[in-house]
Amino acid sequence: MLTAKQNLQETIKGGNPERFVNQNEFLEFVYEVPMTSYCPGPGTEIVDEWGILWRWPEGQLGPFPVHDAENKVIKDITEWKKYVKVPDHYKNPDAWTDAKEHAKQIDQNEKYVTIMFFPGIFEMTHSLMGMEDALMGLYEEPEAMHELIDCYTNYLLDYAKVLVAEIEPTAIYQHDDLGSQISSFMSPDVFKEFFLPSYKKIFSFYKENGVELILHHSDSYAANLVPSMIEMGVDIWQGVMTTNNIPALIKEYGGKITFMGGIHSGEVDFPEWNEAIIKEHVDRICQECGKLYFIPNLTQGADVSSFPGVYEAVTAEIDRISKEMF
Amino acid sequence: MSKVEAVKALVEAGKSKKVADAVQEALKAGDKAQDILDAMVASMGVVGDKFSSGEIFVPEMLIAAKAMSKGVEVLKPVMAGDSSSSLGTCIMGTVAGDLHDIGKNLVVMMLESAGFDMVDLGVDVPAERFVEAAKENDNVVLIACSGLLTTTMPALKEAVQTIKAAMPEMKVIVGGAPVTQEYANEIGADGYAPDAGSSAAKAKEIIGA
Repeated sequence: MLTAKQNLQETIKGGNPERFVNQNEFLEFVYEVPMTSYCPGPGTEIVDEWGILWRWPEGQLGPFPVHDAENKVIKDITEWKKYVKVPDHYKNPDAWTDAKEHAKQIDQNEKYVTIMFFPGIFEMTHSLMGMEDALMGLYEEPEAMHELIDCYTNYLLDYAKVLVAEIEPTAIYQHDDLGSQISSFMSPDVFKEFFLPSYKKIFSFYKENGVELILHHSDSYAANLVPSMIEMGVDIWQGVMTTNNIPALIKEYGGKITFMGGIHSGEVDFPEWNEAIIKEHVDRICQECGKLYFIPNLTQGADVSSFPGVYEAVTAEIDRISKEMF
Repeated sequence: MSKVEAVKALVEAGKSKKVADAVQEALKAGDKAQDILDAMVASMGVVGDKFSSGEIFVPEMLIAAKAMSKGVEVLKPVMAGDSSSSLGTCIMGTVAGDLHDIGKNLVVMMLESAGFDMVDLGVDVPAERFVEAAKENDNVVLIACSGLLTTTMPALKEAVQTIKAAMPEMKVIVGGAPVTQEYANEIGADGYAPDAGSSAAKAKEIIGA
């Protein structure tokens, strides 16, 4: 029987997988690495190392950056240097102790030592100044936006050097939501100009330093950005929604990139969920997408669901359909 | 190219730093303020259509709306007292339990560009607040409710039903990623727009403008 890792390799290389890759079974997330601070749960708020105020109101599924006039970090993109202070919290060796211990215990025959990295480059621009300012800045103040993106890219590269030295990760799971459910936030040309070069640089560094697998999370429409993802060095696009026409993407790009997702969290992960709903979604997407270049998974990402039991129920349904289809 | 056409082209291209001067030039050349405004509204219609068809993306729509607002600033003093260009007031908000504001903000811009006076209630708006705002403001002709999450669909339903119970004649438009025409019909909304680009045309249709 193939290990989870071997089965993944067969799937993404067009070989002979024994079963569907079941969600994140081939990844072990080392969550202990010193990322920027994150709200621990509903009803909390924090100011992270970049000065961004995050608030997670009760009853919500996650935290949001606060962008009223008082709390926006960058109040004027042309003066971003005045507002942005690059953190160096990750340079403290003590901050890596727990992560190193965790990484050592991972059975690398079964799983990749995986770091989930957020925010992504686009996400950082709008976390610092709000979505409207960030998107308009790409057109109205492109020079300043390039400078800001370069600044964050350099931070990510500096972080990557420490990460590689401390943990030796074998997979990077980069979070960067690039669209709504029906369109990308920006055109492919704008993405190519502003974001592709930075990601290419960062992912190349990782690949040259022991990372075997790059996953990019964007639970959105982003079919028009797939050529850029491939050029960036992304092996797996996680979060792909059905609005992207996944079977068509597999037909066009299978072999160059693998699509992970297809089980829309919004449609199965809600308080009144039940097994029948999940079965319907799992059956449909697995039958439509087939056995290669596709990994069935909740689009939300990571190895969690918003409501208890959903992630596990999806896993069970994928196990069932694997037995039927393989 | 006429001065008005130049304004129109600048709005469509989102050249917010140039529009104010272009509007001034058009006024100096003798073009009527109403004609200039109509041209800008038409531009935003084109922008909305291009967004709906996937030809342009959110940033292009944002800069076009910003450019239009710069042009309107120049026209406002000239048109002071002339209410004929207003389609009435629209109250808008994202429903209770939902903090997403990008789609809502885009719709606010598009409706404002189309000629509505917008009252933006922000996000996480309780159903009753829509009704209160409709009573507090003059000439409210439309209430727009946005919901992005599957989990907040019940709040969207509650908002529409609360508004209709308190103000049966009030027109209500809904939108957001999980919303469909069928769902809009089911909860008693008067209209639904699948995206921000088509929201202005649908809003005008609902109020009979």
